[in-house]
Amino acid sequence: MHHVLIDHWSQGSSPLHARDPRAKILVLLIFLIVLATTPANAFVTLVIDIAVLTSGVLLAGLPPVGLFLRAAAILPFSLTFALITWLAGDLWRAVGLVEKSYLSTAAVLLLVGTTPLTRLLGALEALGVPRVLVLLAQFLYRYLFVISEQAQHLRLAAACRGGSAGPPRSRLQAAAGAIAVLFARSYYRAEGIHRAMLARGFGGRLSLLNPLRFGARDAAFTATIGLLLVLARVQ
Amino acid sequence: MHIPDNFLSTPVWAALDGVSIAAIGLTIRRAGRELPDTRIPLLGVMGAFVFAAQMINFPVGPGTSGHLVGGALLACALGPAPAVLVMTTILATQAFVFQDGGVLALGANVFNMAVLGVLAGYLPFRLIGATRRGLAIFSGGFLSVLASGSLALSELLISGVRMPRPLIITSLGFFAVNALIEGAITVSVIQALDKLNPGFVQKPAAARSRVLAALGAAGLALGVAGFLIASSAPDAIQNLGQTLGISEKSGFQTPMANYTAGNFESAWLRRATAGLTGLLLIWAVCAAGARMIARRRSA
Repeated sequence: MHHVLIDHWSQGSSPLHARDPRAKILVLLIFLIVLATTPANAFVTLVIDIAVLTSGVLLAGLPPVGLFLRAAAILPFSLTFALITWLAGDLWRAVGLVEKSYLSTAAVLLLVGTTPLTRLLGALEALGVPRVLVLLAQFLYRYLFVISEQAQHLRLAAACRGGSAGPPRSRLQAAAGAIAVLFARSYYRAEGIHRAMLARGFGGRLSLLNPLRFGARDAAFTATIGLLLVLARVQ
Repeated sequence: MHIPDNFLSTPVWAALDGVSIAAIGLTIRRAGRELPDTRIPLLGVMGAFVFAAQMINFPVGPGTSGHLVGGALLACALGPAPAVLVMTTILATQAFVFQDGGVLALGANVFNMAVLGVLAGYLPFRLIGATRRGLAIFSGGFLSVLASGSLALSELLISGVRMPRPLIITSLGFFAVNALIEGAITVSVIQALDKLNPGFVQKPAAARSRVLAALGAAGLALGVAGFLIASSAPDAIQNLGQTLGISEKSGFQTPMANYTAGNFESAWLRRATAGLTGLLLIWAVCAAGARMIARRRSA
């Protein structure tokens, strides 16, 4: 599945993987903001952006085809919108919509493809995102696949019992019942998790095994790429 | 309804990022007061639950199916402030891990779905949940999806995305249908939850916080106004964007369409009336539908 692949990517050991996640988040934000303020017909800027992105992907040792294909998931949506704006007589906005939303998606993929989620969240907390949200995201991501699997079991079980047949009303009730059961199981699971965590000395904070270190290389990386992107925009 | 990056103009996404950061900050402060740390694992797992619940399809009409969005359900089960936080986390996870919705546009998506979506979903529960529970929950689900959808559409229009009128009306109709589905799903899930354990869903408490009610009402008004204005006069929204200078002017485009103020006003009024009638009609259908469902369930 999708997420498993990204988790796999993020375990690599390239120079880009080794950068402090805060540096990568800052560079991503610069990239996105520069891109968002770039006109659709500023081709030099866009080419430089694409070059930076591609060299990042190559440097990180991620499969370029895989990453750029994955980013194409945005295209059905943005192409539809582009078609609408084009028909409404706004060709350049249409072009901009497609190219810029595609590049933004690829850039986000590059960040999550080179940073394990726990480190990404640790960096977000260090950058000032409230602890509650970071904790929530950690629990959410940890149990996402567990509960999704339960949902799949429920769906399969319902299908085995002939849940996909019958009048719509009873099918609606069956689906609602399945969701309610899923809710109850998640609720009780959460209680169990919390007790288990207390027993292991949980004090309201999940800490990283390797603490984040923003070194000289990270500063140089942020400054160089950030400056390059900004210069490309204002040239 | 997840807006990707670069669909909104810079002033729009930047402003909404600011609003959302402020709103989430306030919510955390409020939730921190009434929410012990022990609830955090529960909220995280509930976020995962909403993700997973979206995999279960609901049959709606021949050949089509919908799925739960979850704003109203979370608001009724966990309370509004925790629900806002859980929805925010879900949206952030979708943006970063699943590339569903943009990172710069996260503020807009959080504002539409987590802040106003949840508040609009909770408001009916708060106001009439004690007496007319089924109706309240149904309208919560309905309003939460409708408010999120029409806000997203308004933000696109105000950013200067040009959409032909029939398309806008079609997408609003689409949102309304989705909203009806969400209402029906939310009601049936909560009724099933009540059967499992009546303690899962909050009892609508007597009004404790006026602020929340006011915020919710404001959100609701905004959502409905967005729906009305977008359906009746999309050009008005686009013009507003252009007058304020926040709509993005792209490459080679003449910014102003040629309007004459006179016929514009009367046409606006006419369309607004039409929109309002439509909305009232939808409301009536919802109310009747919710009652029917609630009655059959209790029988």
